[in-house]
Amino acid sequence: MNKQSADLSSLSNIEDISTNLLYLMHIHDSAFPIGSYTHSFGMETYIQSDEIRTKEDLFEFLKMYVLENLAYTDGIFVKEAYEQMKAEGWDALIRLESICDASKNAVETRDASRMMGKQFLQAILPVFPNEHLKKWKQFVDEKRIKGHFPIAYSLYTVEMEFDLFTALLTFMYSSTVGLVHNAVRAIPLGQKAGIQVIHQLIPEIHKATKLVMERSLEDVSNHAVGLELASMQHKYLQSRLFIS
Amino acid sequence: MLPLANKERAMAPKSYGKLDLTFQLLRGKTRMVDVYQQPPLKASRELYPEGTGDVTVYLMESSGGLVAGDRNEFRIHVGQGSSVTLRPQSATKVYPAFNDAPSTQQVTVKLEDDAKLEWNREEVIPFLDARFDSKTSIQMTPSSSLLWSEILYPGRDKRGEAFAFQECNTHVDIWIDDQCVVYDALHLHPKKQELKKLGALENYNYIGNFWCFSPKVNLSDVHMDSMLVQQDNHKSGMTTLESNGILIRWLSNSLPLLKKEMDTITNYFNGIVKEN
Repeated sequence: MNKQSADLSSLSNIEDISTNLLYLMHIHDSAFPIGSYTHSFGMETYIQSDEIRTKEDLFEFLKMYVLENLAYTDGIFVKEAYEQMKAEGWDALIRLESICDASKNAVETRDASRMMGKQFLQAILPVFPNEHLKKWKQFVDEKRIKGHFPIAYSLYTVEMEFDLFTALLTFMYSSTVGLVHNAVRAIPLGQKAGIQVIHQLIPEIHKATKLVMERSLEDVSNHAVGLELASMQHKYLQSRLFIS
Repeated sequence: MLPLANKERAMAPKSYGKLDLTFQLLRGKTRMVDVYQQPPLKASRELYPEGTGDVTVYLMESSGGLVAGDRNEFRIHVGQGSSVTLRPQSATKVYPAFNDAPSTQQVTVKLEDDAKLEWNREEVIPFLDARFDSKTSIQMTPSSSLLWSEILYPGRDKRGEAFAFQECNTHVDIWIDDQCVVYDALHLHPKKQELKKLGALENYNYIGNFWCFSPKVNLSDVHMDSMLVQQDNHKSGMTTLESNGILIRWLSNSLPLLKKEMDTITNYFNGIVKEN
């Protein structure tokens, strides 16, 4: 066990907990190099068709994204990976990863999740050379797994001994806020509008996180079909700001 | 009228339909060598409409639909080199759930090497207050081919029912050897979800899916743009999947157009898959 984790095991007061939280904030920083600023997961298709034009449109869309997409897909993968890593170990986690891959129908969204996961591992391992994360990266290199971000992220939060709710809440937050930043650039909207949308979304993110805490793999659902079609159509857009 | 009819149905005994079909290639012709049927499910005899060795069998359901707690199970085994088309004779109608008992359907398919299966076309209509759970598991090999189409209705549209069911859960998983290539679930709970929102089902009523896996399809040669119309009440997307797979998914308010495109796409891929 490396130094960071060892320090966490002896947490004794609120200062330690808050300081530890900085490690989590660090990886969720929009400047942390996992490439979230290059992906829209289909949102750009709606921006170009003028279906997302105003901050109200953006809020409604992202509320759907959090409650009907994240809370039924990646949120559940983060939670399941967290629990399986603690209880069951590698084989269960590898199986979960293959289901995560197979559940993402739209190729651009599937590739985006793989890319972000690999970039996350590449960025974190030099500063956090944890044995379990190294092994996971080795599985990616051996092509046993694809490297999806929700699973790699979850593994990191287990190793850092963050509690599941916090790990999930911050995952939902950064996944959504990343899209707000991208929409602000693409629509475009002012910074103020972006801040307003994020502020309004926080209660929805909280609600969605509580729902995911009660869900399991059998609740995974792709009923955000419109977004999936938007992601499939994205590559046919004439000019694109984002990879997905 | 309607509540009385429903009451009669609620008192009907629960039914458990089963249909186990095994196909084998015998002297260049695909034969249905084993059939086990438990009412209300039933299979037609073997038909050879194309005048080739490829067999077509109709899947029949004599009860008129699934009532709360009813269950239908299909088990299809397509032997090496066999070529099978299965056609459900009618849409699966799901009646209201009483005592919260859902109706369930399980489809299990096994494709051996060089086998080909076309399932044309699974249609599900969940009525007002219905609860439906459907699970489809397909095990295939790298040399086998699968063409699968399905349409989910929002309800009895002619009665103005749209998403008036309690819940409708469908799940499809497809495995090529031990690799999971499709894990697609739709859990629709109209009262608990915001299905009409942009990015969810929006203002569309029908969801259509066409899945194709075949070593004979060369993804870079597939050109479908001219076969798929994009208009206000109808849209679709196409994506490649792992292991040379393709999914075309529709959101539509035009059932005739959706069916027409699905048929065109099925014929197109049938042409490719049946080419030597």
